[in-house]
Amino acid sequence: MKPNPTSQTYKRIIRYGYVFGFLVLMAFVQPTPKMPYKKAGLTEQEAALHLLNRFTFGPKPGQVEELVKQGLENWFMAQLQGGPDNEAVRERLAGYPALSMPTDSIVNTYLQPAQLLRLAIAKGYIDKDSVDKSDKPAYREALKKMQADYGFRPIQELQRELINQKVIRAVYSDAQLQEVLTDFWFNHFNVSLTKNQIQQLVLPYERDAIRPNVLNNFSSLLFATAKHPAMLLYLDNALSISNENEYAKRQLKAAQRLLDLNAAKKILAAASVSEDSMQKMDAMENQITTQIKRRKSQGLNENYAREVMELHTLGVNGGYTQSDVTELARALTGWGVKPMYEEGPLAKRFSNATPDQLLRRGLQVEDCFLFSADKHDQNAKTILGKTFPANGGYNEGMEALSMLASHPATARFIATKLAIKFIADEPPTAVIDEMTKTFIASKGDIKEVLLTMVMQPGFWTKAKEKEKIKSPFELAVSAVRATGTDVVAPYQVFTWSEKMGQKFYFYQAPTGFPDRASYWINTGSLLNRMNFGMAIAAQKIPGFKTNLLQLNQNHEPESVEEALQIYTKLLLPVANQKENSERIMSIVRAQNIDQKIASATNDNSGKQDMQNGAMAQQDNTPLKTMAQVVGVIIGSPAFQRK
Amino acid sequence: MANRRAFMKSGALALFATGISGLPRFITEAAAGTQMLPMYKKNKTLVCIFQRGAMDGLMAVTPFADPALQLARPGLFMSPTASEGGSFNLDDRFAMHPSLKSLFPYFNAKNLAVVHGVGSPNTTRSHFDAQDYMESGTPFAKGTASGWLNRAVGLLGHAPTPFSAVSVTSALPRSLYGDAEAIAINNLQDFSIQLKGNPMAAGKAATSFEELYDQTTSELLNKTGKESFEALKILKSNNIKNYQPANGAVYPNSPLGNSLKQIATLIKMDVGLEVGFAESGGWDTHFNQGTTNGIFARNLKDFSDSIAAFWQDLGERQSDVTLMTMTEFGRTVAQNGTGGTDHGRASCLFVLGNDVAGGKVYSNMGSLAKENLEDNRDLPVTTDFRAVFSAVAENHLQLKTNGNLFPDWSGASLKMML
Repeated sequence: MKPNPTSQTYKRIIRYGYVFGFLVLMAFVQPTPKMPYKKAGLTEQEAALHLLNRFTFGPKPGQVEELVKQGLENWFMAQLQGGPDNEAVRERLAGYPALSMPTDSIVNTYLQPAQLLRLAIAKGYIDKDSVDKSDKPAYREALKKMQADYGFRPIQELQRELINQKVIRAVYSDAQLQEVLTDFWFNHFNVSLTKNQIQQLVLPYERDAIRPNVLNNFSSLLFATAKHPAMLLYLDNALSISNENEYAKRQLKAAQRLLDLNAAKKILAAASVSEDSMQKMDAMENQITTQIKRRKSQGLNENYAREVMELHTLGVNGGYTQSDVTELARALTGWGVKPMYEEGPLAKRFSNATPDQLLRRGLQVEDCFLFSADKHDQNAKTILGKTFPANGGYNEGMEALSMLASHPATARFIATKLAIKFIADEPPTAVIDEMTKTFIASKGDIKEVLLTMVMQPGFWTKAKEKEKIKSPFELAVSAVRATGTDVVAPYQVFTWSEKMGQKFYFYQAPTGFPDRASYWINTGSLLNRMNFGMAIAAQKIPGFKTNLLQLNQNHEPESVEEALQIYTKLLLPVANQKENSERIMSIVRAQNIDQKIASATNDNSGKQDMQNGAMAQQDNTPLKTMAQVVGVIIGSPAFQRK
Repeated sequence: MANRRAFMKSGALALFATGISGLPRFITEAAAGTQMLPMYKKNKTLVCIFQRGAMDGLMAVTPFADPALQLARPGLFMSPTASEGGSFNLDDRFAMHPSLKSLFPYFNAKNLAVVHGVGSPNTTRSHFDAQDYMESGTPFAKGTASGWLNRAVGLLGHAPTPFSAVSVTSALPRSLYGDAEAIAINNLQDFSIQLKGNPMAAGKAATSFEELYDQTTSELLNKTGKESFEALKILKSNNIKNYQPANGAVYPNSPLGNSLKQIATLIKMDVGLEVGFAESGGWDTHFNQGTTNGIFARNLKDFSDSIAAFWQDLGERQSDVTLMTMTEFGRTVAQNGTGGTDHGRASCLFVLGNDVAGGKVYSNMGSLAKENLEDNRDLPVTTDFRAVFSAVAENHLQLKTNGNLFPDWSGASLKMML
């Protein structure tokens, strides 16, 4: 039988269809069209350096070549995936118990000084009459004893873990983009250690709300921050309370009834009752009145509602009104924090109740987040023109935030902020436009928005106004990475960053640190950038082990010239820095940094300057020269830019 | 330009030649020459001290004549006595705490004014929130990016110098956040190129850095680099390390005393200081506050003696300077169960200067009977802090605020300046 031509054709079509489908699939599996850096006049090496400057905390020696070998696109796609801590990070974080401790354990382990004091008085460790009086050592001993007895840890240890983990991850994490974005999004959704009430919560905030979401969807960041205790307390939403609901009305009515009853009793008993029980009734009356008054005087707090629109989503010109702020604040009433402090009055009531029992009281718990229906305004609201019908409860707030997350003004605001972070202080509008479109089309997919950005020639434009100034933290970490310094004492990065003008985790205002060169560069901070360069190169930072010889494969430069050549190349890689390197060389050479001078300073420097490099053991003079050279490079204008 | 460059080079060389120990007269002279630059000039200076933790204004300047006060705080009540060591009767209604002894003469001389019942219209009793609002100057908006003192410097619009606004703290305070240049520096001696244990190397590196920044194509780094090195030379030429207070002034050896000493140094150097900022801590007296003795008395004495030393040190420069203190809120009228006071509302502040209509307690305070108090417990705010801040800024700094210093506020400045 002759084969049926129709069926043959059909089969062929199917076969071709597979092939076609496969090709289409391939196009999706390898979504890496070349990044348009050539169009912008960059060589592959220059482009690799640019990627490292913008999406990592600075290139490590030889990393430019590694990137070229791996393929720039492949590297970037891998970075977009983020990932768990690599071995080097895990090793260095091994002695940090709080990093893996649930939030409620942290709250009950790292007590605030005021909590500690009150507990010490309550448990009889110290006498209240002795507080703030003399005999401080005895007093401190008593506190210490209680801490030991109860397994409390000093809160300073918690802050140290928070600070050190940021430094360690910035220096050693392979998921560099994830860390750069953690820094960026934390600053965008800023909370501050300057607010005592949230001192225990900043570590869990970054760990649970920020880092897992930095390459996720924007809305997941927004939800996670909105519901985190750190944000709820920092911007006061936990204090925002309404009596416009049946629970509160019932409670107030009951209190009033009690009051009336008391008043009636008083009248009846006025003639016969003793002075003593009359006083008791007065006291009760006072107590209830105060409770009612307090309940009624607490009210709407608009702080979070305002800042979530102005700073987190729409932007200050995002087209919202004061009425939108108030309405959103009403929608978010009842959003608060689950009581976690076990010595406090409320935590037991929560830990002893089942979710069902809580729900009956109008309380919804999700991790540390608590929605209290008895503090929620149950009336209808109108936010940005959209009506939210009455009795929307917890979901109403989520819907309102959802609406903000996907608003076109938010798309533009976030695209602009990312472009400022990754391109320049004044980024090209064309790139922002494309990023905005992608934000809208992908419903806020951060990966997609970043991918769009690097596919724009505007991202690669080689112009001096496209340079970014490193923040103090970025400067310190990039110097550490460039010199291969072993950071045994990560806290030093914090100490130096503060000197250079960035006390990270302590920026008080919800705006976060301004992301612009003129903020970072001022007279006081600039000199300390230079001092930092000298200090790290000369081994004067305790707990920083810099081995300049090893950096050059244990080859000791023969001359100052050679040292200059070698270390400028290592620290300022790629030819586009050539101009800078030559300038540094000519100046350093003119300063006559040579062995004679170096040896003249020998007695000023301690023995710790001796390196473990084999070449250095007899005479550290060449090392001093190298340290001078490297110090000047790190403090130079070229190294401040990225 | 050529001359300046020549100075820079030779100056740097000379620095190198002598290390950092002594300075040849040549440099001092050259540095004196740079003072001719327009950026270094005499300015009116406003010095602010933030008393963090909320000072008990009712104990610092106590309305002793009100019997309700003694009733509410029997253990903390103080009244002026004729004997030595008692508090100072100001006007038969208020008395200064004995620890303010060193400031009392300035009150008598009508240079020191007290404003009582000062606070914020926002009723928060959280230290953080209240400080934040007071420093941003917007008591109902947390997102205000700038601080009020930074706005003041910006509104003055003078050509900025590296020392237009200086906070003697380790990090920049909220009051100085903003677009105008402001620096935080704990110790003026740290304003230098330095390398621990190797001053020689630092001197050499400084020369390299100076030239590198002089040649960089980045305008910002170039300009700031120049300013930094100029500022550094001027500080060095003034020998700040061995600064000797004038007129026999003795600063307490305390953080506040030290901060004010550095601010005085800057004022006398004429480096363009417009706003100086310092902090004083330990005012959160929940426990055993004490009266004539104790933690409050000790703190207040340090506060008073630091300010008095500063003022004495300024000498003839007093007319260029006005000093104002502030604290985030006051404390409960009644004492608590642990011999202290809890977070309240209004407190008092001090303004010292030759242009202050002093010798007076400015107050709209009513009776302290319970029913007159805010929430039945706290001294009500009868003067908005912005009324005082703007009065001082407008009069002393000659600032035309036009509502820009305190946005969203249309109140009137307090008439307390000459």
